[in-house]
Amino acid sequence: MSAPGSTGVSRGTAIGAVVIGLYGLLALASLTSLFDSGLALDVAARLAPPSARHWFGTDPLGRDVFAMVAVGARTSLAVAIGAVLVGVLAGTPLGLIAAARGGFTDEFLARGNDLLFAFPALLLAVLLSAALGPGALTAVIAIGIFNVPVFARLVRGSARALMPRDFVLAARLAGRGPVAIAFEHLLPNLAGLLIAQVAIQLSLGIAAEAGLSYVGLGAQPPVPSWGRMLNDAQTLVGSAPWLALFPGLALALAVLALGLVGDGLAAVLGGRGGMR
Amino acid sequence: MKGLRRACGGAALAALLLGLLLAPPGAVWAAAGGAITVGIPLEPPNLDPSATSAEATHDILYANVFEGLTRIAEDGTVVAALARSWDVSADGLGYRFHLRPGVRFHDGSALTAADVRFTLDRARAEDSRNPLRDLLQAVANVRVEDELTVDLDLTHPVAEILTYLGWGNLVILSPASAGHAATAPVGTGPFRFKEWRKGDAVVLERYPGYWGPPALLERVTFRVVPDATTALAALLAGDVDAFSNFTSPENLAALETDRRFTVVVGSTEGETLLAINNARPPFDDLRVRRALAHAVDRNAIIKGAMYGYGQPIGSHFPPHDPAYVDLTQRYPFDPAAARALLAEAGHPNGFDVTLRLPPPYYARRSGEIIASELGAVGIRVHIQNVEWAQWLEQVFKNRDFDLTIVSHTEPMDYDIYARPGYYFGYRNPRYDALLETLSRTRDLAARRRLLGDVQRQIAEDSVNVFLFELPKLGVWRSDLHGLWHEAPIQGIDVTRAYLDAPVAARQGLEAPRLPGALLGAAALVLLALAGVALRRHVSAYYLASRTLSLALTLLAASALIFVLVDVLPGDPAAYMMGLNASPKAIAALRADFGLDTPAWRQYLEWIAGILRGDLGTSYTYRVPVADLVGERLAVSLPLALYALGLALVVAVPLGLGAALKRGRRTDATLMGIAQAGLSVPNFWLGLILILVFAVHLHWFAAGGFPGWGQGIGPALAALTLPAIALAVPQGCILARVLRTSIGETLDEDYVRTARAKGLSARAALLRHALPNALIPLLTVLGLQFSFLLAGAIIIETVFALPGLGRLMFQATAQRDLIVVRSVVLLLVAAVVLVNFTVEVLYAVVDPRLRQGRGA
Repeated sequence: MSAPGSTGVSRGTAIGAVVIGLYGLLALASLTSLFDSGLALDVAARLAPPSARHWFGTDPLGRDVFAMVAVGARTSLAVAIGAVLVGVLAGTPLGLIAAARGGFTDEFLARGNDLLFAFPALLLAVLLSAALGPGALTAVIAIGIFNVPVFARLVRGSARALMPRDFVLAARLAGRGPVAIAFEHLLPNLAGLLIAQVAIQLSLGIAAEAGLSYVGLGAQPPVPSWGRMLNDAQTLVGSAPWLALFPGLALALAVLALGLVGDGLAAVLGGRGGMR
Repeated sequence: MKGLRRACGGAALAALLLGLLLAPPGAVWAAAGGAITVGIPLEPPNLDPSATSAEATHDILYANVFEGLTRIAEDGTVVAALARSWDVSADGLGYRFHLRPGVRFHDGSALTAADVRFTLDRARAEDSRNPLRDLLQAVANVRVEDELTVDLDLTHPVAEILTYLGWGNLVILSPASAGHAATAPVGTGPFRFKEWRKGDAVVLERYPGYWGPPALLERVTFRVVPDATTALAALLAGDVDAFSNFTSPENLAALETDRRFTVVVGSTEGETLLAINNARPPFDDLRVRRALAHAVDRNAIIKGAMYGYGQPIGSHFPPHDPAYVDLTQRYPFDPAAARALLAEAGHPNGFDVTLRLPPPYYARRSGEIIASELGAVGIRVHIQNVEWAQWLEQVFKNRDFDLTIVSHTEPMDYDIYARPGYYFGYRNPRYDALLETLSRTRDLAARRRLLGDVQRQIAEDSVNVFLFELPKLGVWRSDLHGLWHEAPIQGIDVTRAYLDAPVAARQGLEAPRLPGALLGAAALVLLALAGVALRRHVSAYYLASRTLSLALTLLAASALIFVLVDVLPGDPAAYMMGLNASPKAIAALRADFGLDTPAWRQYLEWIAGILRGDLGTSYTYRVPVADLVGERLAVSLPLALYALGLALVVAVPLGLGAALKRGRRTDATLMGIAQAGLSVPNFWLGLILILVFAVHLHWFAAGGFPGWGQGIGPALAALTLPAIALAVPQGCILARVLRTSIGETLDEDYVRTARAKGLSARAALLRHALPNALIPLLTVLGLQFSFLLAGAIIIETVFALPGLGRLMFQATAQRDLIVVRSVVLLLVAAVVLVNFTVEVLYAVVDPRLRQGRGA
């Protein structure tokens, strides 16, 4: 039961947190006009290799790859955060209600959860984008739906484990109803767990967003996204490897950093780490 | 029409007849034989040329398998084909075709005038599904004069009728075989259809009974290579010998310097347009349309999106045609002029528009540049990428768009500017009158003048912004000759193609087929499981309730899927019929598909069908969905199992190693590796694997699947790189699960006891901890298996594998809804069944779960 040998935050978690912070800064900076000139088309300057002027080189339309990676960070984070919000906001109440009420409600919600869980996220994204049109919002919904059962299960399981504890019994004796208990007493105790899971789902969300936009189902041009940059880079990988290298690295690093943070938090906060 | 006077045609006809004498000499000295593989970007929806406009269908079949009365030659002229010659009456209303004697269909039956009448009557019938139906409105009657003579009576002169008869949709079919053309086409061409491996390739072989000079190649395989990257890799790896039209112009320069390949840049009939909705404000104002034309820099687009390939055009007409007029300077690139025109039209601050882009690379790439160029004059462009099915529905059919980019590849299609209700929303009586005159004019010089006026009128009204003529970027092995350099019509003519030193064609390409017993096997496994469960005293009540809940879940899933799929915009029938389709033909096809019945009935029929073991018939492929799914499972299932096996190979050493050295440096290192490994996106890994192992080292093919008919070796080799790409991240996840679960087990009392008795750490691990740690591992494995089955879509795309994921993708894009439904349900069922199995297994293991519900 013990988290082996970890007291406090591990080095990996700290590094991960710093990397995430940097991505966050980059994403914030991209909200200003800092990268606008880099994103402007300049066909004359296309396919330039990395240099002091263009750190990550330029793409076939003459855009600065560094600027695109920076704005891509914003796209990735925005989609992943949006999807996690969908998951937390829908999944947590469902899990709490299932845990608090038990019986038929619990069974019903569990089956609904299983049903959602059975839909592979990618299939759902393909169908959703065929219905709603591809775009960042569609990606948020598709990944978000996948997140709902994750949070619902986590919350339900942990909340049920807390049910026999004294403070819950005390609240019950005080005449509070099960749903009120769930939200007033159980939820605050689950915050740590939720935060750790949020980090893990964020890292999964970023990977999923890249996959979706790689097959053209994510954010639409001209909004840069890492997955689409990778797709665009494929045919040029022999002659302009920087096009595939930097977005790929940025993506893997972001997933890695969030994964480290999630695991670290889970170890410290007593949750169950690990990605599915 | 009676008493038709006939006379020999005028100068126009003489010119056409000249073409007859110029039968291509071919390369008679070249050694005949050998086989080639030609790459095509899209899979044909079906192989019936009379019922689809799909480019892929005509690419494969035109001139190779099917022939018409006339045909379009490489230089765009109309030459004789199945009609040896023809006479035209002086009033231009009567055409008499003399058929070539001795022509035999691939089924051995002789070509007669009755076949021609059958084909043409079928094409122009009320319920015709032929996209060219409306072009045949002028045909009043088709009469059989004798065995080899057919008469065509027109209600009014249509000078272009000989051209229409040479198009792919009007090739001659026989009544006996026309019904099966979708899956088993029977024509008169030098190649006959051999087999179609769905999702992968269509194979043609030489027809020995051909009436003309026999084909030089023994076999031609048209392989679907949907992705530009895979296309390059397949070419470099030698998996594909030729691309008639290569979709990544950025690689052409490199290929041109490569002595292994010939690069031929030709022209197509594809006028690429920034199409404007003339009917919708503000584009109903000529000044706004002209402002757009001034704002767009064609040369920047050709350079940036097309890497310099493609000729600029100023109207809707191909530059290689003798009647072409250069109008590219009518609206020179001039942002200031554009801004002035916009201000004059009352839009000094510009406006917002949506630009809908269909999938082809030229559209998507040009779109980004145009959006930026229009932005420079104040027009704020919002790009929306759409699939073909959506494009056809929203833009083409419902005319719900502002701007779009598309290439109009039909030859001589200037008549679309006169069609009422066409998506441009353009009407000009003067233009209609111009076409009317043109249709009645058969004198070549006069026609040429009129065609000039046609081009000028379109440009003057600035109906669309005319970008460039789509190039035909041919790339093939340098020892392959005889492929067309130009593309005046949709088709990849391989009838005169030959190899310098042909190697005998390999035999034995069989469709991979999974025994239908697969479902039965799954059922048996479940039954066996239930049997074991009952013997282990799991209560029958528990099993029954789980099974009931399983059935309910599947039913709920099926309803959810049906609703999801049913709301998809885009009409499957419209998708299949393409740009030239008549609304009547589309309605006929819809009725054919059963799409005209209410949704609830369609749902009940679907469920009833599934219960009977009948998944229905695919709209596009016209074969049972069960067969399609079976073929794809024969790729996806082995791939998932292979990847799972490899994942274990990755996971066991990592996980065991880390568990043994828990808390030490080795543990941290191994888990660091695992963490990094699971952070690498699998499609990115796949791409790198292709680069290293296929392009550089040539150890594996870059993509594609040879089918199990070639033996297990080649098939497994084709699955190796994709399996590795899938396995590495999954294996790293497994390694972490393994480490944690072994770690937890090692802390259990019985293991501590064993250690206290003097067992080494390794022995304790192997004998005591591992067996118990395997249970959570198996759970995760089960979950991963269903993930791999469904989640391989992206990897299948990267490696061009004909798996379930790609079937799903393709079927969605083609709106083959009946296939989409069944595939999704199958994948969902796989997940649910795996969960069910795991639950029951747990109940077997854990007595606490046997009696009631699990905690």
